[in-house]
Amino acid sequence: MSGTELNPMPQAAKFRRPPEVVMKLARMGSFHQTRLSFMRTLLRRLKKEKWQFERKLWEIGADGFGRAVYTVSGPERSYSLVAFSHDLPDHKRSDRVIATAWDATFTLFDGVPDTADLDRLQKSVPKQEAGRISDSELSLSRANRSVRLWQHVIERLSNGQQPDRNQVESVGYLVRTTAVYGSGKFGAADRLTIYQRAEVSGPFQAELLSVWLIRAFSIDLVEHIARAIGGDRAVTISPDLRRRIGVGNATGLGMAPFLINHPALINNWMVAREEAIARVRSLADASGEAISDFKHHFELAKFNLSQWHSEHPIQIKKLGQLNADLKKMSTYIETESLVENHPWDRFYLWAEKNLSLEGQEQLVSLMLEPYGELVDDLSQCMDADEHLSFFIDGSMSPGRLLEIIEAQCDWAIRVDYQQKQNRARFWYTSAEKLEPRVGERFDEPGAEFEQPLSIGLFIKQLYQTLHEWDPRQSIADLLLAHPEHRHTVRRLQTLATHPYSEIRDNLIAADMLPIDLLRCKLSFFGATKFDPRSDRWVRICMYQDAPYPNEMLATAR
Amino acid sequence: MKQKYTLAEVESYVRKAAQATGLGWGLSEEAGKAARWLAAFDLPGPEISLAHLQRLDGKDYKKYFPANIDTRWQAQGDYLCPIVSGAALADRAGQMLAGTEFKLGEIAYPLLLVATIGQAARYHKTTFTTSWANIRVNCYENGIRIEGSRDDLLLARANSASCRHSTDLVPQQLPSTLAYSIEPSIWSAIDALAFKTYAPATAESRAGAGAGLTDND
Repeated sequence: MSGTELNPMPQAAKFRRPPEVVMKLARMGSFHQTRLSFMRTLLRRLKKEKWQFERKLWEIGADGFGRAVYTVSGPERSYSLVAFSHDLPDHKRSDRVIATAWDATFTLFDGVPDTADLDRLQKSVPKQEAGRISDSELSLSRANRSVRLWQHVIERLSNGQQPDRNQVESVGYLVRTTAVYGSGKFGAADRLTIYQRAEVSGPFQAELLSVWLIRAFSIDLVEHIARAIGGDRAVTISPDLRRRIGVGNATGLGMAPFLINHPALINNWMVAREEAIARVRSLADASGEAISDFKHHFELAKFNLSQWHSEHPIQIKKLGQLNADLKKMSTYIETESLVENHPWDRFYLWAEKNLSLEGQEQLVSLMLEPYGELVDDLSQCMDADEHLSFFIDGSMSPGRLLEIIEAQCDWAIRVDYQQKQNRARFWYTSAEKLEPRVGERFDEPGAEFEQPLSIGLFIKQLYQTLHEWDPRQSIADLLLAHPEHRHTVRRLQTLATHPYSEIRDNLIAADMLPIDLLRCKLSFFGATKFDPRSDRWVRICMYQDAPYPNEMLATAR
Repeated sequence: MKQKYTLAEVESYVRKAAQATGLGWGLSEEAGKAARWLAAFDLPGPEISLAHLQRLDGKDYKKYFPANIDTRWQAQGDYLCPIVSGAALADRAGQMLAGTEFKLGEIAYPLLLVATIGQAARYHKTTFTTSWANIRVNCYENGIRIEGSRDDLLLARANSASCRHSTDLVPQQLPSTLAYSIEPSIWSAIDALAFKTYAPATAESRAGAGAGLTDND
């Protein structure tokens, strides 16, 4: 399944925000999760298709170490989370990618593993990047405990008491994943394996299924240990408190280049999201039911903000702005009509004038909530056949390429890259952990290893070459004489048909914030509580308040 | 014993290996795709890519570019680079569709040429035929047909090759592999080349990877 073509609603066209507004780092770095986020798409499907759930295996000792298998089964196939729980000395517990051991390691198995599979996986999965999995596996991941919450919960449960709600809510998770690798990595099945499976062909569905099952495992494990300690005295976590526990995640630069290296895919994510917003803005009026649904989600957003903490100055400032924005929105909701005269469009236009980017993006996420029937189908359009956008049309004229640049790349060609601050950074891959990093071009060695992420600079260089090129000669001829522009020509031809494929900012500027890239991508996943730990590393929460497999799905027999 | 690597890994490592030998980003992307395309048919794309890249490593690539393409394509150097020539042919797919047959002179690993033409066939949902020595390979939207002497498939050098559009529509072989089996020594060599694109660790780079705050709370 290569995804469904998006059919824009004609009446929504004039409400669509243009790429020059959307594809800016500051705005992308203010995105919030929406109905179209991939976690929510996944859970909607599992529920609708009445998937079944079973904890197939639990070989965990009283010490909390061992292995377990969680299986979900849909109309056609089953998938199993294989979990290994390890004894990790405190001094080895690190979220950083340079870690080599973890509290727990996982893989998502394609089907139901037998004992031989489990024994094979037990040899490789705990090693993570240093091991090798096979094409029977769809993801590879690991997690560390939240030391502060883990001990507290065990102590309370084993003594027959519920954990302290404030502590649960302020941390938000028992375990924090530190990497979730997907298709084709470290031997895991190539993406083509799952390309035609509707249930996992959408973006990151297999990886996010892993995380949802990891969350269930974390609860089972903590209750198991509490029972081993407290015996009959021990209790399980109350259902409402349990919902407040998600899965944490610590993410660094590893995922940042993804948004740049998959232009057609990112375009499709953005177009689906923007079309959804435009459809809602195009509505002439809103029903009482929709308004009350919106207000309900608005209250949840306020509560979420009250629970959302960060120690990083950038995020502290943004949270302050969001707090002020939510107060302004409250007043708007109390004083303005949400019923008629294009209420959502009016609300949005007001927000553009009166709110920070945090508030504007919070509003568009909330506006989609009442309108599942109108927008949820767009989640099927968020995939891309990247092979098609790889191909270069060599017959294109240089004039046409110039037109594309002049119409869509003002952000690239108006920058003076001679100025140091406009090329202060370089992206590279570290030999140490094979992970992407950002360096300071004029202060650090290694710029000769620069990765091709300085798209704006490349476009300007091509633009200059095009001005000196004989306009009668085709792009095929230009690329033979100037092969250094091949990568950029490919991107620009993609841009011509995928207007949201390029981030319209300078990715090597001194003031570029990598966390903006991370937040954008993570909001599409469905993450909440973005908590930057630096300008290039962020913690988030996933699946907080979502149902658990045993609550949402029938038990397999 | 051979070890399996996914097509994604084949593409990514060969792309980096090509970059390490100086091929440049855009063409290195073609090299990765070509190796992947061949591996999907269980053909030794990674192996011949490595052999070719090792031979050109450190040399001036431009010498192996098609220099004269008006009649018979020739390089300044001893032979044409099949990755560069394949990309240049794919860029001219429109001319082939209009009936042009391109004729190439001395060329290294003509099977790599086929791999790039294969991408064009897929994109245009049509058939392109590449011939050299006593072999002819048709690339279809979703498959290939190899006709003639199989011994010539992996030739390291051919005196000439040609490429044209075809109306034939019946593939003999479809992509069959999502995980390609390869000798560990070959993969190590690809990996070693790819590794040259990574920056050695420095104190600055470690600082640049993450945060200064505690991360085990």
